[in-house]
Amino acid sequence: MNRMNGPDGRKGPHPMPGTWITTRAWLLMLPLLVVMIAVIGWPLVDTVRLSFTDAKLVGTAGGFVALDNYAKLLGGASFQRALITTTWFAVVSVAAEMVLGVLAALLLNQQFRGRTALRALMILPWALPTVVNATLWRLIYNPEYGALNAALTQLGLIDSYRSWLGEPGSALTALIVADCWKNFPLVALIALAALQAVPRDITAAALVDGAGPFNRFRYVIMPYLAGPLLVALVLRTIEAFKVFDIIWVMTRGGPANSTRTLSILVYQEAFSFQRAGSGASLALIVTLLVTLLAVAYAALLRKAAGAS
Amino acid sequence: MSALEIRDIHKRYGEVETLRGIDIALEGGEFLVLLGSSGCGKSTLLNIIAGLAEPSGGDVLIGERSILGLHPKDRDIAMVFQSYALYPNMSVARNIGFGLEMRKVPAAERERAVRDTARLLQIENLLDRKPSQLSGGQRQRVAIGRALVRDPQVFLFDEPLSNLDAKLRMEMRTELKRLHQMLKTTVVYVTHDQIEAMTLATRIAVMRDGRIEQLGTPEEIYDRPATLYVAGFVGSPPMNILDAEVVGNALRLVGSEETLPLPADFTSTAAAGRRVKVGIRPEALRLANTDTPGASVRAQVEVVELTGPELVTTAKLGEQTITACLPPRTRFGAGSQQLFSFDEAVLHLFDPESGRSLRPV
Repeated sequence: MNRMNGPDGRKGPHPMPGTWITTRAWLLMLPLLVVMIAVIGWPLVDTVRLSFTDAKLVGTAGGFVALDNYAKLLGGASFQRALITTTWFAVVSVAAEMVLGVLAALLLNQQFRGRTALRALMILPWALPTVVNATLWRLIYNPEYGALNAALTQLGLIDSYRSWLGEPGSALTALIVADCWKNFPLVALIALAALQAVPRDITAAALVDGAGPFNRFRYVIMPYLAGPLLVALVLRTIEAFKVFDIIWVMTRGGPANSTRTLSILVYQEAFSFQRAGSGASLALIVTLLVTLLAVAYAALLRKAAGAS
Repeated sequence: MSALEIRDIHKRYGEVETLRGIDIALEGGEFLVLLGSSGCGKSTLLNIIAGLAEPSGGDVLIGERSILGLHPKDRDIAMVFQSYALYPNMSVARNIGFGLEMRKVPAAERERAVRDTARLLQIENLLDRKPSQLSGGQRQRVAIGRALVRDPQVFLFDEPLSNLDAKLRMEMRTELKRLHQMLKTTVVYVTHDQIEAMTLATRIAVMRDGRIEQLGTPEEIYDRPATLYVAGFVGSPPMNILDAEVVGNALRLVGSEETLPLPADFTSTAAAGRRVKVGIRPEALRLANTDTPGASVRAQVEVVELTGPELVTTAKLGEQTITACLPPRTRFGAGSQQLFSFDEAVLHLFDPESGRSLRPV
């Protein structure tokens, strides 16, 4: 009669199929595992091995130097400065993107003529390839014929043309602006989707309850935005921490290393200076930092999911 | 002095006119139900009173003061939404007290008001919970509590019971009636459920296509429907509507040999030879035998459905169909001929073109 009881009527685990299912699962995963070990696992292991040697990119295989590479890097000024530059770039650009993105989403969530067109237009910067975006901004910042110089002089805000990307004081800020312009639409899109999920009755109830615009945003709309925004924050911070392409195209880490982030430093160490050993150890440090970020955010997300 | 007065309200969305001149005046403590099928404009009217929509013309007054152009929070109204519209991130207590919090009522006073309201609605034990931890009925109570706590001049309810299952809906209906009897506040209540309208209202406004079809007490709406639409909308099963012709002092049913008496009320308006629509409620029909005094018609029974409290019988009167609600113990089979009797006072006559009642005013 037990057969009639369905799954709940079963007593104890099924005797045989467990092992077969496990075997079959492994077999099915095998092709992917092979590929992953080939393109991720083995290079990672080899990078770890390299990081303990003084190998050059070409020529000598190098000898074992234990933790020398790590000690030199962590104690050296260029790593510390690159870490600070990277953190500054990531924090400022992501914060600005979040604020701009949410503001843009709030605006685009209002009823007005041409809203659909504006929504489509807004995605454009994000849809552009980074290299195109970087080239565009290099033109805007150009010290001789750049649009920014023209605009600012004509408005009377500066007296003479400046080299925005050529001065250590302004280069990083100029980069952050370019990065924001490219990436705030992603945040705006995510926020807009979240805003559209806020039930109309709830905002109407808040109106009747007497909540002003700020309180409505703070108490009624923000709870709906928090989760999706956290995801955007995670993605954008990790990406900003790894930033390479936009900087490489616009400043190559200059002037005077003022825009040299960790990824640029890794590139220079490994390929410009051809020091494969210390380049590998630097790359591992960056990987570790990004992993830490990811783990911290994953924990945050779990906490947020538990709270709601 | 009217507690709430609605004067010639119009609402137009582009080419479409959803409200075409609504006039209602309510005394303090009245329970007005706006009744109609979806799209009749009843929710739009409620939103206009609440300040969530602006009318294209007309005026709304609360206590003799025009509230048009005022922010919803300044109108001295509170609203209960169909979806409850509770703030999901806040506790029940904060949900109820949010309106007071936004009006900067001191915390101690607020807490007392929330607690009193919760006691009234028997949800004191739920104050620390989040809306997601509540059942539908409990959420509805919280939503009502949020409106009650502010002690407004007018309560607005937008189909508050339609998301509840049948049993709970009945419980909450009684609960609402109890609250209204106790608090005696002015209520405007939107629903498409005629039972809710009949049981709760002191007055019902039956709406159709942006107009009020009839405004009256539940008894008036049920006993003296002003139009065919009202007659068909209120009552379940709906009123039987039969085509007939006035012949002398009788009504000859179209497509049948049967005749009905012409009620005395209508002799002045229903001239001989005139085509009319005759309405008779299923519950006004009784099973009779040839000795039963009063009017009767003979019909051939088609379908018999026992619902429990009554036997819903569908029968053919020539080409027309008639429904009767009979006592459940009645025993007869489909296909048999039966005699249905009624008082001539229960007949309603309507003009077939305009649909208006022929009852002299």
